[in-house]
Amino acid sequence: MTGYKSKHGYDGLLIVIEGTDGSGKSTQISRLKRWIEDQSYGAMVSEWKTSKFIADAINDAKDRNLLNATTFSLLYAADFADRLEQVIIPALKAGFVVILDRYIYTAYARDTVRGHDIEWLKNLYDYAPEPDMVFYLDVPVEILLKRIIGTTGLDYWESGRDIGLSNDFYKSFQIYQSKCLEQYHKMIDEYNFISIDGTLSEKDIHKKIIEKVENILEI
Amino acid sequence: MENKSRLNQSHNLPGTLVCVEGIDGSGKSTQLIILRDWLKSLKQDVIFTEWNSSDLISQTTKLAKKKNLLSPRTFSLLHAVDFADRLEQVIIPALKAGFIVLADRYVYTAFARDVARGVDRNWVRKVYGFAVKPDLTLYFRVTEDVSLERICSNRAPKFYEAGMDLKISSDPYESYKIFQKRVNDEYKSMINEYGLVEIDANESIHNKQVFFREKVKEVLSQKGIFL
Repeated sequence: MTGYKSKHGYDGLLIVIEGTDGSGKSTQISRLKRWIEDQSYGAMVSEWKTSKFIADAINDAKDRNLLNATTFSLLYAADFADRLEQVIIPALKAGFVVILDRYIYTAYARDTVRGHDIEWLKNLYDYAPEPDMVFYLDVPVEILLKRIIGTTGLDYWESGRDIGLSNDFYKSFQIYQSKCLEQYHKMIDEYNFISIDGTLSEKDIHKKIIEKVENILEI
Repeated sequence: MENKSRLNQSHNLPGTLVCVEGIDGSGKSTQLIILRDWLKSLKQDVIFTEWNSSDLISQTTKLAKKKNLLSPRTFSLLHAVDFADRLEQVIIPALKAGFIVLADRYVYTAFARDVARGVDRNWVRKVYGFAVKPDLTLYFRVTEDVSLERICSNRAPKFYEAGMDLKISSDPYESYKIFQKRVNDEYKSMINEYGLVEIDANESIHNKQVFFREKVKEVLSQKGIFL
């Protein structure tokens, strides 16, 4: 190692990519993973809401429109706890570079927008290891809207329809995502996010990311 | 922080929340059912809610238990989901509507069991910080030995109720006693912390019900309901 010591004390590294839907996280994560593997390191990706049992329960509850702000928050926390213990920590112990698609900051942003107290949320996730680096892909809400409408379409929950911001889908997405972006922006300093302009080209964003990651990998 | 929790302040809703707590085999469910039928016979509006019974998640939790897949923390959070769901869909609306809500187990079950499984005491209390304070909680005190006798007279202790996930002992009977003692110890420490009303579970069904009704009458009379 280049004298770098991980912030969580495990042998591996924990790299987080944060940003709202449509910010280009997935593209950058697969490029980063490939690049890390090209440097002869083991890399793995873990995405938000992918634990074996709980993710199904979340999707089912979302489909049936059964969630309130508290159950929403706690279910995601359960999913996270499960993935952390079953996937992330074992990989860190084994020395992998673990790339996380969203982390506790996603919960902080979404759940405070849904009215939860930040102190309650911080307690909920207080056992989460500190990441070695957090990249935040910053994209203005108008561009997010275009990207989402052009690909997956507006989703009920990603538009915050559950909190009754507006009956108009477009308007609701705009308000909800703006509120989430506001929360992300507040966290930039507090958690040392490396904020990257998400409207740059894929290649340029990738370059900015690996420039930083190089500093903590022994290359 | 601790004192700001809703669990330490009266809920100020028109209804009344009555909970029973204690380890398995303490007879609390029987007592609650007898109480419910009595209240109904007096034309009171009563609803009944049980631990881990919400539509939302209880099936997931049961399935995960069967496969022994989840850590104590994940379990704790899943039970919190179940509770939050029932609290917001059932308990609080009923309290707003002036019902007497009877809860077979409440957050104290989580505080006792999760901590007995090694989850941090303050963490779990804060997780449940959104819960409303009951008007009355009865803690049915029974020893681990009596509990084991009653629960396991015709079957072996189940994996989780015996705390087998903690690998304390490979003998389920032995493990049950050690684990349930830990749960009981947590309950005992909550008597003062949350003002739980202790009742000796070895008393007869009749004596326990007489005591229970007295306590319920007391809290109802404070709300202007005289039975």
